Amino acid sequence: MSIVTWLKGLMRRKRRRLDDEDFQEEIRAHLAIAADERMADGADRRTAELASLKEFGNVTLTTEAARRVWTPWWIDALHDQLSDVRYAIRALRKNPVFSFTVIGVLTLGIGLNAAVFTMLKSIALSPIAGVDGSARLPVMFRETSAGRQLPVSYADYQYLRDHDRAFSGLFGSSVATVNLGKGRGARQIWSEIVTGNYFQILSVRAERGRTLMPSDEVAPGRHPVIVISDGLWRRDFASDPNIVGKTIDVNNYPLTIVGVADSTFHGTTVVYDVEAYVPVMMAPQLGFSFGSRETTPSGILSDRRAAFFFPQGYLRPGTTLASAAAQADALWATLSRERPLADAAERLRVVPFWQTPGGAPSIVLPTLGVLSAMGLLVLMIACANIAGLVLVRALSRRGEIAVRMALGATRTRIVRLLIVENLVLAVPGALVGVLLAQYGIPLLVGYAEELAAPQRVFFNIGVDGLVIGFAVLVACVSAIVFGLIPALQSSRVDLVSVINEDASPRGAARGRLRAGLVVAQVAVSLLLLVGAGLATRSVEAARLANPGFDASQVTSIGVDVKQNAYDESRGRVFYRKLLDAARAKPGIESATLAAYTPLGFLDTPARRVIVESYVPQRGEDLAFMSNTIGPDYFRTLRINLAAGRGFEDRDDETAAPVVIVNNTFAQRFWGGAPNALGKRIRVADGDWRTVIGVAADVKYSRINESPRPYFYLPFLQSYRSGMILHTRGTGSIDRLVDQARASVTALDADLPILYARPMAEQKRGALLLFDLTATMLFIFGIAGMALAALGTYGLVSYIVKQRTHEIGIRMALGASGRSVVFGFLKRGLTLGAIGAALGMIAALGASRLLGSMLFGVSATDVISFARALAIVLGGVIVATIVPAWRAARTNPLSALRHQ
Amino acid sequence: MTLHSSRPDARTDLLHGTLDMLILRTLQWGPQHGYAIGQTIRTQSSDVLQVEAGSLYPALQRLAKKGWVTAKWGQTEANQRAKFYRITPDGKKQLLREESRWTELVNAIGRVMKPAAAPGGEE
Repeated sequence: MSIVTWLKGLMRRKRRRLDDEDFQEEIRAHLAIAADERMADGADRRTAELASLKEFGNVTLTTEAARRVWTPWWIDALHDQLSDVRYAIRALRKNPVFSFTVIGVLTLGIGLNAAVFTMLKSIALSPIAGVDGSARLPVMFRETSAGRQLPVSYADYQYLRDHDRAFSGLFGSSVATVNLGKGRGARQIWSEIVTGNYFQILSVRAERGRTLMPSDEVAPGRHPVIVISDGLWRRDFASDPNIVGKTIDVNNYPLTIVGVADSTFHGTTVVYDVEAYVPVMMAPQLGFSFGSRETTPSGILSDRRAAFFFPQGYLRPGTTLASAAAQADALWATLSRERPLADAAERLRVVPFWQTPGGAPSIVLPTLGVLSAMGLLVLMIACANIAGLVLVRALSRRGEIAVRMALGATRTRIVRLLIVENLVLAVPGALVGVLLAQYGIPLLVGYAEELAAPQRVFFNIGVDGLVIGFAVLVACVSAIVFGLIPALQSSRVDLVSVINEDASPRGAARGRLRAGLVVAQVAVSLLLLVGAGLATRSVEAARLANPGFDASQVTSIGVDVKQNAYDESRGRVFYRKLLDAARAKPGIESATLAAYTPLGFLDTPARRVIVESYVPQRGEDLAFMSNTIGPDYFRTLRINLAAGRGFEDRDDETAAPVVIVNNTFAQRFWGGAPNALGKRIRVADGDWRTVIGVAADVKYSRINESPRPYFYLPFLQSYRSGMILHTRGTGSIDRLVDQARASVTALDADLPILYARPMAEQKRGALLLFDLTATMLFIFGIAGMALAALGTYGLVSYIVKQRTHEIGIRMALGASGRSVVFGFLKRGLTLGAIGAALGMIAALGASRLLGSMLFGVSATDVISFARALAIVLGGVIVATIVPAWRAARTNPLSALRHQ
Repeated sequence: MTLHSSRPDARTDLLHGTLDMLILRTLQWGPQHGYAIGQTIRTQSSDVLQVEAGSLYPALQRLAKKGWVTAKWGQTEANQRAKFYRITPDGKKQLLREESRWTELVNAIGRVMKPAAAPGGEE
């Protein structure tokens, strides 16, 4: 209590205006004169002195009053406030159960909200770590008339950068995996292919050496340099102080490290932990062709079909997003007129950062919105709880309050005291809540990281001043608002009835408030439980869902022969030998190759398709995702063929071009699988390919995606250097993985294996978002339920306590304990039923908002609703029966004596 | 725990104001010490108003703080040490204000208590 000491010191200093000794001297003089006068009247000295003293009254109080005259009013008020705080602490210490319950309730409510707010803040307000004002970083993209969002090519980026006046600078960046190192030690990391002004526009400095500069973006292949992240420098180079100038192999191409980026910076691709930054001029050397058919580096970079950038930058001061968008659109129109691209009409759009196409914020923000809403509901329950608890406490304090008012305390004064008490509870609640968030969030982040492994993810999440401020604000506002209602009520006590211990307070209004609180808590907790139930059932359904393929007993081994400098012809030989070797192992049923694994979470690039004798409607956008696969693919992954056959070894580069489409594709263009066989399509500007098979639909990216057209190209007719080897066999999956890995090393011991794992592990990544959302919803639901049960229990106990007297009389008159309990149960269940009905209505309305986050359950899933209802009503029953039973079992006599 | 309010409400204002007025009035006849002020008010009111020391001395401090009285130690006629209060010019102005306010209040109360006397029947 150092503040009190300081304040006392301050008051003493101010009080020096009242000369204490002088004042005492004056009182002594007063007493002397008065005594003298009495003695003059004939009294003896002792009697006279005593009488004068008695007449004078309380010397200390007089001195205190005289001092107070000199004290400025605000010190006085502050002193009052502090004594209120001290008094409140003393009073709350006497009632630890109550105090800890309230603090606990607030901790939970505020902790959850602080956690959600922290995430919301990191995604919405500062999405890019280490960059100030990253939320104000608009992004450009092309949009087809069908609404498909596409990046722009380097050539188009250059045009925009040179002609746009709305942005103070435009940079381009594109996230990509690259292979770091050579031979067996190589591994895959996230990199960004960036323009030379990237670091300058973002104002990101180099921790060591330099960042990339516009001088690194002069001509293709001219500057073989790279900037690495602080994390990569620490992990892979043991914080080597002489790192600048060293050479590392990236996709088998030597690049010189010119600097280490600032340790706070993790790239501009939210959630990805980017570990290297490569100048765009080096992209072709690293093997990136971005789908261009050009073969020279300068050809690729000037090909307007090789689109990979979402240009972004800060707007010039005074420019609005709308005017920037208008300008960009006009520029694009000019560009399209000057150098037309053969494709359908497109617009150039400018949107806020969080709407970056395919970016994590655009995926996560709706989820976070739902979580915030649930967080606020939990807080509402917490507040209703506190209101209830304060109300209960007010009962036992009615006597005290009445005495205070009888002694002349004003109602304002008492309400102030009660508010101070609530604040004394709220502030620690807020602080512990923030601590909970601070230690809880890393747990959640760790969970997410584990789910995402082996990919590195980074969340720009931290508990900071803003979050703490938010939590404290929420705590104080809720304490004041929800503490005030009962405080006002209890200050409106009828003095006479309380002092007479009249058991019947004029409590009709208070009874309604209590009932209202129970109803509200039941309703809100039902809402939360329905949300939690739907989420858990979605995850269950997603885990059990049939993605259209069978990943069990299948291995995935990723390799890229480019990493050991294979050209196409050597690569073909390698993969053919690999398949033969893998198939020859004991216990192997089949082996195949694929470019992508299904359920990959992120969409793979879509490719334009021309369907023979199909006339696209105006603005129809025929671009679909595809996969490049080897023979036996459908057999290995157990994907059904609806018609025709799978690829075989004979579908090689010398044979007629073929393609396999999925069922949805066949339905859309030819009205069914059997009709599809023999039809022809062209992929991009390639040759006509004949459909030889129709495969069943698979969940290609996410488990909750709707069916979409998809096609497969044979590996032998569309070579790629990077492929995944899948083998299916019997026995332990780990042995199968080791076996498959061994077939690669047996062929080429120096070829890095990017990953070797059971295919089933991949599925976890696709469920990441579901899992996280469901976990949070579940925590919220349980927290809300616990709070509501606690609150209901408290309120019912209060009602029971208030009616102990009545119970005693009824029992004395012969009522059975059971009938007493049933009486309470009836009332409790009535309130519970009203609350449940209201909660049901709210849940039916609100669960539709969850729609996009649900999978395999409808928003009005009966089981989820029934389960929530059962839990809530069960909670009400327990919360009613226990205190009622306790009351009924007390001795009627002692109950009567209670008053 | 103290339950007083730091800002005096209207009621205590009235009481304080009245006591202040009585003290200033007493001091108009010349400097006096605290005990004498109390005795004077008492005798002048024929023993009706008994000013307690607990109110008198804080009131004197209040008047001193406002600059309406000054205090100085001196000797009584009986040759005893005492602190004598003297009204200042500001104090005199304040007394005039208080007096007119008081007269107004008394008249107002009088009109309420004897309503027949005032309106009369002149018209």
